[in-house]
Amino acid sequence: MTLADRDSGLLALDVLPPAGSQGAERGVPARLPPAGRITASRFATAGRALRFGMWGLVALFILVPCVCFLALSVSPRLFDQGPQWFTLGYLKTIFTGSSAVSIVNSLWVSASAALLGLVIGLPIAWLAGRTSLPGRRFVSLGMWLVLLLPSWLPGIGWERLVVRDGVLTRFGLGSAFVTHAIMGPFGVVLLLGLRAVPFTYLTITASLAGLGQEFEDAARVHGASRPAALRLVLPILAPAIWSALAIGFAESISDFGVAYTLAYNSHFSLATYQLYAAIGNFPPSFPAAAAIGLVLVASVALPLTLQARALRGRSYAVLSARTRQAVRRQLSTKGTILATGCVALFFGLALGAPAVGTVTGSLLADFGASSRITFANYSGVLHIPGVSGPIYRSLVYGVVTASITVVAGFMVARLLSRRRTRSTAMLDFLLLATVALPGVVFAAGYIFAYNLPFLSRIGVDIYQTVWLLVIGYIASSLPTNARVLVGPVSQVQSSLHDAARAHGAGPVRAWLSGVLPAVSRPVVMAWLFTFSGIFLELPMSQLLYAPGSPPLSVAINLNIAGYHFGLGLAQAVIGVAIALCLVCVVLLAYRLLAPKGWRRIGSTIRG
Amino acid sequence: MPEANPNGRGARHRRALGAGFVCAALVVGAAAGTTPALAAKKAKKKVPLIVYSAQGYDQAMVHAFQAATGIPTKLDTNSTGPLLAQIQASKNNPHWGLLWVDGQTAFAELDDEHLLVKHFEPKVKWNALGKRVIPKDKSFVPTGITLMAAVAYTSKVLKSPPTSWSTLLSPKWKNDVGMNTPTQSGPTYPFIAGIMNYLGSINKGKQFFQKLKANGLVIHTTNGPTLAALASGQIKLALVQSSAAIGAEHTAPTLKVKYLSPVTMLPSNIGIDAKSTKTEIAEAKRFASFVLSKLGQAVMKTGTPTGDSLYYPVVQGIKPRPELPSLASVKVQHTNPYVWGPREASINSWFVNTITK
Repeated sequence: MTLADRDSGLLALDVLPPAGSQGAERGVPARLPPAGRITASRFATAGRALRFGMWGLVALFILVPCVCFLALSVSPRLFDQGPQWFTLGYLKTIFTGSSAVSIVNSLWVSASAALLGLVIGLPIAWLAGRTSLPGRRFVSLGMWLVLLLPSWLPGIGWERLVVRDGVLTRFGLGSAFVTHAIMGPFGVVLLLGLRAVPFTYLTITASLAGLGQEFEDAARVHGASRPAALRLVLPILAPAIWSALAIGFAESISDFGVAYTLAYNSHFSLATYQLYAAIGNFPPSFPAAAAIGLVLVASVALPLTLQARALRGRSYAVLSARTRQAVRRQLSTKGTILATGCVALFFGLALGAPAVGTVTGSLLADFGASSRITFANYSGVLHIPGVSGPIYRSLVYGVVTASITVVAGFMVARLLSRRRTRSTAMLDFLLLATVALPGVVFAAGYIFAYNLPFLSRIGVDIYQTVWLLVIGYIASSLPTNARVLVGPVSQVQSSLHDAARAHGAGPVRAWLSGVLPAVSRPVVMAWLFTFSGIFLELPMSQLLYAPGSPPLSVAINLNIAGYHFGLGLAQAVIGVAIALCLVCVVLLAYRLLAPKGWRRIGSTIRG
Repeated sequence: MPEANPNGRGARHRRALGAGFVCAALVVGAAAGTTPALAAKKAKKKVPLIVYSAQGYDQAMVHAFQAATGIPTKLDTNSTGPLLAQIQASKNNPHWGLLWVDGQTAFAELDDEHLLVKHFEPKVKWNALGKRVIPKDKSFVPTGITLMAAVAYTSKVLKSPPTSWSTLLSPKWKNDVGMNTPTQSGPTYPFIAGIMNYLGSINKGKQFFQKLKANGLVIHTTNGPTLAALASGQIKLALVQSSAAIGAEHTAPTLKVKYLSPVTMLPSNIGIDAKSTKTEIAEAKRFASFVLSKLGQAVMKTGTPTGDSLYYPVVQGIKPRPELPSLASVKVQHTNPYVWGPREASINSWFVNTITK
């Protein structure tokens, strides 16, 4: 870039209309000198092409497969899954019998779980981010561990703990009341709620990072009490809170791990189980599964509508160059004990129970008939030929998926955080709707959409290749990733970018030096979040993996479902440990390699 | 001719549109251009045989087959449910060469949909068990037999196990019996069908399971979790696949296995995709023949010694593994898959909605 170019850019920025005006929305300056006009015009065209490309990819890899699958609910003939071109028969079945019961169960359970996730996750995020909570550095690590565990593991863990003659009974702690409570709706809500906590924690933490001390100070200066100051600050976190609720709801309603283990064994049917049962039956009824999938998609309209109503017409851009580091509050002795106890209780429930389940399963070679501890299963895992292949494969899939998803997720989050238009509202709904769809729907949709005979004839033969699996991983991770990033991205004021441009940086450099430092921490978190979700992902892997290249989750599932229950659990423990190591390495690398200024944003100082 | 304004609205839209298509084309092209299937076609190489299998010894068998024949073979090893779901979802454009899973009802259904190669029988001498499970139209090939359901119990807890299916309904076994669910466990529907077949009608079978439920039947997903429930003491009797129960006996010596008469045969079978190319079909036939050869049977018997290798052979001259109990004192029945196959969806739905609920 020459000096003249820089000057032109500077001039162009000088005459930009105020943010929020028509011209600024379109990115077209009102009056520009010729060179500046061309630069701005190219920039706008590139931006538009990027948006168009983004929409195209979302349509190709998210919309088309989902529509293909869901269309089967009214037109099974479309993909040769029944004789009718049009029928409402499958939709009618979801309003009767066990399907209706399971859908109602899923709706209220997911709403309760999302709320529970917020009630637990918000205070923990605040305690870890803004107070002198002892061991606060480990809170983040613990949250990643909760996130890394596939949801069936807590399900099995709790079951093994409370069932008749289970672990609690063996230690003389068995209670019919506890068994009854856990093996029922309460237990299901509790488990799904605990699963929703990391989503809330990550979303709120990312937003808290952009919320400087000035708002609280302003309130206190004007005589507000602490609760009153909190009442001021909490609404600023509204996008993150609503995002957390929406993600918690969508993740809970699409969860299969708990539905398949604890809920199923408690005779408490959830919609995802009904959906899987329709596909698991032979012959599989994809139209019946699609009808349930349609209800799951429609159900996310509920949190989205509430979110839209709550946030309509407000701006939450608070992160600017003037944002001041927040002051870490010193807890009193009593407060420290109480806070530590509550946080410890959460981790005890979220990690302790799965640990018991895994330990009893993986360290007792004889299916747990005796209490003899043995490492036979671990030794077995290490001696099975080719066992390292699936682990390595899943690591690579996770890293590639997370790296691509986080870039796409950031772009989508940026679109969503701009002024609400019909297209962004549609994108928002589409993304959250796909979060609510179980992985198997995505996977089956990919088979229907990308295994059409005519595609094979023209040489597009991507079914059962690594390509389609990775594309599927990215498409299924993108919605959650984008929603995790919406909070932090909506806090970034455009002045950060503008300031860098005003100092002569080009568009890319301005973004790298002005915006990236402010969002680097949430971006790293989003990367880890995606990696954790993909590393042990099962439903999509089962249907889409390339023959000869099974990922880790498929290998684990084969052992657990078949003859080697303990071996499978040992594999799961090793897998989770490896993934946790990678999470630690990434967090450590960020701490060591990221410039001090990047880490300062969102950090706190002692009060 | 006046030049078009390069920065005009229409031009911008065209450029954006073009960029979008280029983006999509690049992604699709990159993905399509490097797929193994297309690369194989371009290079005119042998088409690899794709094996869909839910057998524990499949990896060992694929290696042995490749070594013996030089035919490149790719394995999609999975539970039976996902494999059948894949076949059903991709039936317009199938990617599998052969399917190798337990149970014959799914094969009968696939045969009814004309998805299997008919009239193929490897040149082997079947034994008495094998002769009973060969389909009339030779649309699939039995490779071994396990039984459904074996009754697993812990000798430390239980000294006298039940002696007949009807005794499971007595108060003595209240809350003590566990089994798998048919929607998650492939071998469980043949067991349910077997009980109905034995009792003489679907209704009588339904009544049996309803009484079992009233007596506190505990249902888990698959063999593994049901056996884990037995070991932890949640249940005292586990109705699981014979190979799973005998395999568990190996790891937990106090765990014992008993067959109740009649016990239902659950053959493992190979079916070949009728829509495959001639080359692939020929390769699949060689695979099926290889499995039933002496070498193939040796691989089956040693591939997973505490799992699927615990089967009763179907060809003459091959003995079962020594851990397997004799079938001399127990009545073994075979349910016709062409009769019970079409009933599978409705009976499973009934089971899930009535018994599992």
